[in-house]
Amino acid sequence: MGTLQNFSTRHPIWTVIILVLVVGLAWLVFAPWPPGLEQVLGRKRIFLNAILSGITLGALYFLVASGFTLVFGLMRNVNLAHGSLYLLGGYIGFGVVESTGYWLLAFPVVFVVVGVLGLLLQHQVFRRMEGEELRQTLVTIGLSIVLADLMLWYWGGQSYQVYSPDWLSGPMELPIISSLRSNGDPVYLTYPRVRLAILFAAIVIGLAMWYALNRSRLGMLIRAGVDDRDILAASGVHIQYVFLAVFGFGAGMAGIAGIVGGTFQSLSPGEDTRFLLASLVVVIVGGMGSIPGAAIGALIIGLAEQIGLVYAPTYSVVFTFLIMAVVLAFRPQGLLGAQR
Amino acid sequence: MVALTRPATIGADRSAAERLGSVTTGNALELRGVTKLFGALAAISDVTMSVRPGERRAVLGSNGAGKTTLFNCVTGDFLPTSGTIRLFGEDISNFPAHERIRRGLRRTYQISLLFGGMSVADNVYLACLGVSRGRFSLLRPRPSDPIIGRADELIEAVHLTRVRDTLVSSLSYGQQRQLEIALALAGAPRFILFDEPAAGLSPTERAELIDILTGLPDHIGYIIIEHDMDVALRVAESVTMMHNGRVFKEGTPEEIENDEEVQQLYLGGGHG
Amino acid sequence: MAQALPTTAPGRLTTALERIPAPVWVIAFLLLLMPAFANNFVLYQIFGWSFILGMIALSLMVLAGYGGMVSLAQMTVAALAGYVVAILGTSGVPQISLGWPWWIHIPLAILIATLFGTLVGALAVRTEGIYTIMITLAIAAAFFYFTRQNYVIFNGYTGFNNVIPPALFGVEWRQPVPFYYLTLGCATLSYLAVVWMARTPFGLALQGVRDNPRRMGALGFHVTAHRIFAYTFASVIAAVGGILLVWQSAQVVPGTAGIPQVIDILVVAVVGGLRRPIGPFIGALIYAVLSVFSSDILHAFGMSGERFKLVIGLGFLAFVLFSPDGVLGLWEKYKARRAASPDPLLGGGR
Ligand SMILES: Nc1ncnc2c1ncn2[C@@H]1O[C@H](COP(=O)(O)OP(=O)(O)O)[C@@H](O)[C@H]1O
Ligand SMILES: [Mg+2]
Repeated sequence: MGTLQNFSTRHPIWTVIILVLVVGLAWLVFAPWPPGLEQVLGRKRIFLNAILSGITLGALYFLVASGFTLVFGLMRNVNLAHGSLYLLGGYIGFGVVESTGYWLLAFPVVFVVVGVLGLLLQHQVFRRMEGEELRQTLVTIGLSIVLADLMLWYWGGQSYQVYSPDWLSGPMELPIISSLRSNGDPVYLTYPRVRLAILFAAIVIGLAMWYALNRSRLGMLIRAGVDDRDILAASGVHIQYVFLAVFGFGAGMAGIAGIVGGTFQSLSPGEDTRFLLASLVVVIVGGMGSIPGAAIGALIIGLAEQIGLVYAPTYSVVFTFLIMAVVLAFRPQGLLGAQR
Repeated sequence: MVALTRPATIGADRSAAERLGSVTTGNALELRGVTKLFGALAAISDVTMSVRPGERRAVLGSNGAGKTTLFNCVTGDFLPTSGTIRLFGEDISNFPAHERIRRGLRRTYQISLLFGGMSVADNVYLACLGVSRGRFSLLRPRPSDPIIGRADELIEAVHLTRVRDTLVSSLSYGQQRQLEIALALAGAPRFILFDEPAAGLSPTERAELIDILTGLPDHIGYIIIEHDMDVALRVAESVTMMHNGRVFKEGTPEEIENDEEVQQLYLGGGHG
Repeated sequence: MAQALPTTAPGRLTTALERIPAPVWVIAFLLLLMPAFANNFVLYQIFGWSFILGMIALSLMVLAGYGGMVSLAQMTVAALAGYVVAILGTSGVPQISLGWPWWIHIPLAILIATLFGTLVGALAVRTEGIYTIMITLAIAAAFFYFTRQNYVIFNGYTGFNNVIPPALFGVEWRQPVPFYYLTLGCATLSYLAVVWMARTPFGLALQGVRDNPRRMGALGFHVTAHRIFAYTFASVIAAVGGILLVWQSAQVVPGTAGIPQVIDILVVAVVGGLRRPIGPFIGALIYAVLSVFSSDILHAFGMSGERFKLVIGLGFLAFVLFSPDGVLGLWEKYKARRAASPDPLLGGGR
């Protein structure tokens, strides 16, 4: 709260602009649209769908990018194999759901399996080249090449879809009016239940991470370490344990995100790169090493992608890129990144 | 030992220096309320001081007094939290480091910051190149290139001609300190900040250093951080005492030496 | 390692030639006479391709080796040059290609790609060190997705086919022997340009910026400007390489600079060695040979011929883990061990 107050006193103009944007967006979402607006923006349902898809895609991006940004912030390790861990998690999750039929079971299994892989990597490889940031990154590139080919070997080139359980399938009615019938009755917006569940889960996980980072001892250590690694070393904690915990957690999160991605999109070779890039852009925009930054970056990128897809299909990538370029040009440390 | 063979070679480009100097009047360096915070720690707070052109000033103070931080703020290695810095009348508070250097400011570092993988000649060449034209040149210098000539004169001035082509990482500590000084003398310096140049030197090397400093042309002013009172008194005409990030006393060497507070705090306190 | 200043009397051409060691003469003669004993496939697919890959990787080496900035956007710069050649020159897509003469479209292609590379650099140098990789990779990806979606200029998924070099001086440059000499010539020129640059005032300053940016600022250098100009210099080489690459395969598509291709350039440069300009060419030759013969090699080991990427990935990992200086690093270690009295400079140096 204090930081919010700080922000509003230090940047009054920005605060007003952001408030106007938020109120405008809320009006666009909740109020029935006058006909003039429909002429400009098309049907309200399409707009709402773009917004909702953007937010849920942002939720998925957040799940992937949060582990990436934590690992990067603490260890300065740009884990370019993060996308591979995502895809691997998705494939394993698919296998678990196929063989047991329990969608929820896939999450702990994948978190543990991919997390342990992350622990092994940190313990066996990265620990040996601490401080050599470039070399660590090169290793992750090599790993991503190898993992991609191994997965292609085992799972082949086809695409997989993780099926959501019955209690999550089908649409759900939201208390948002999408249009008015001719007799004046409101039509409420419907949206796939599973996506809303994922959005909800991402918010819960995000809040939990925020809480853990701000309230637990380990979390404080990690945050201190992100700001200044010497503090960690001086705190007397075994720094290697902190690194292990963070790398394992980051890998596990990537794996879980893979199941989520496999449920509401699909899994195939190439998705690893796609989500690695999404993580990169999210982290560059949001601020490197910051969890709230990852959340904001993910939301912005998800929205830009989906709104772009609906209103300017040819240029949706350009939007994402422009956002990144503008942030880099004016705030190279990212929206919520610490000044370096 | 040996007095400079060619004292005029340092800052040889006098006409350029005077051209620059003639534009402005007043103090060479003027600090007003300069404060630098590292988190909650005020490394220097509200420092105000001014140095006349050509004046030679010593800054004294125990370890952690904020002397190096003061230099860093002046040269733009990092920006002060608040306060203004004027160099020959021009407000340089928000200039990047290289703009300040191009206006005649120079510095040495307390811990040598050299190019260990290059030869002595290349180090000094870079220093001369940094304050001349052709920094982006893709033409190789000819042997008759004036920058090479100036670099060689500088190398001679700091008595490093013998090791001209040696890798800097294999120089002795004293030689590295001398090179550190050479880098600060390149081009047409008008004001130089020396950060503990004498620390760790042998008596002979110390004498050479004093010769170099006293042999500088009159128009070049400097501030020198020096723990050794004897050295400070020989190369400086005024003294600033710093303590806990603040200017604590200013005066002539005699005034400072005979000041009771100073004696209690610094000279008698066994610091240094 | 950098010796900008002449330490001896001005070398005349003859003495300069005398200083070139014997192995270099042998290699030069071998390369010049290669068409006498190598078949067309080797000339075109292996050597032609190696020279091109080597040039693009060389542009990365300039940035990483002399500037300390690992940019993954150099393949993108190359592909953009290829695209401009296809768009302004002739191709199999006459609706888009403008058909301008070679003396306009080739210089323009190099110019535009270089400007783009400079812009990438200007964005990337806003942050430092390890961030460069992230930012340039993101830019490369954006370019890939953009060319794939944009049909008006880049012809989307299909790209351009039939992009062939102009028949200058009556030579069919895509014939194996002319193409071999064309790529050999361009590669040699780029190599010499980089060797030359390293000992110019700019090159020396760039290495100073790599080793000690803070001191360079305190010597009066505009550190950021030097970094950006390094991108400009490197992008010229990448652009020429990109044009040759497009001529070699006669096509340019989004996948020319897809993420795997972007990463491949890094692999090539690292495997060869990032410390010296010859490294990327060694890496490129290894890469080209491996990729052309990968299925045979893999079959020999009883594996499916499709696992080329696995081999590349494992080989790359092995180098990064055990010989970060690449093949050149291995070679120097070997030489150092063989020498009776180890040269102190070989182990040291950056
Ligand atoms: N880069 C930095 N980050 C944090 N604290 C610093 C930094 N540089 C200096 N300090 C602190 O500022 C104070 C003054 O340091 P310094 O200027 O180096 O003192 P002096 O040169 O007088 O010995 C010290 O307490 C030191 O720990
Ligand atoms: Mg100090």
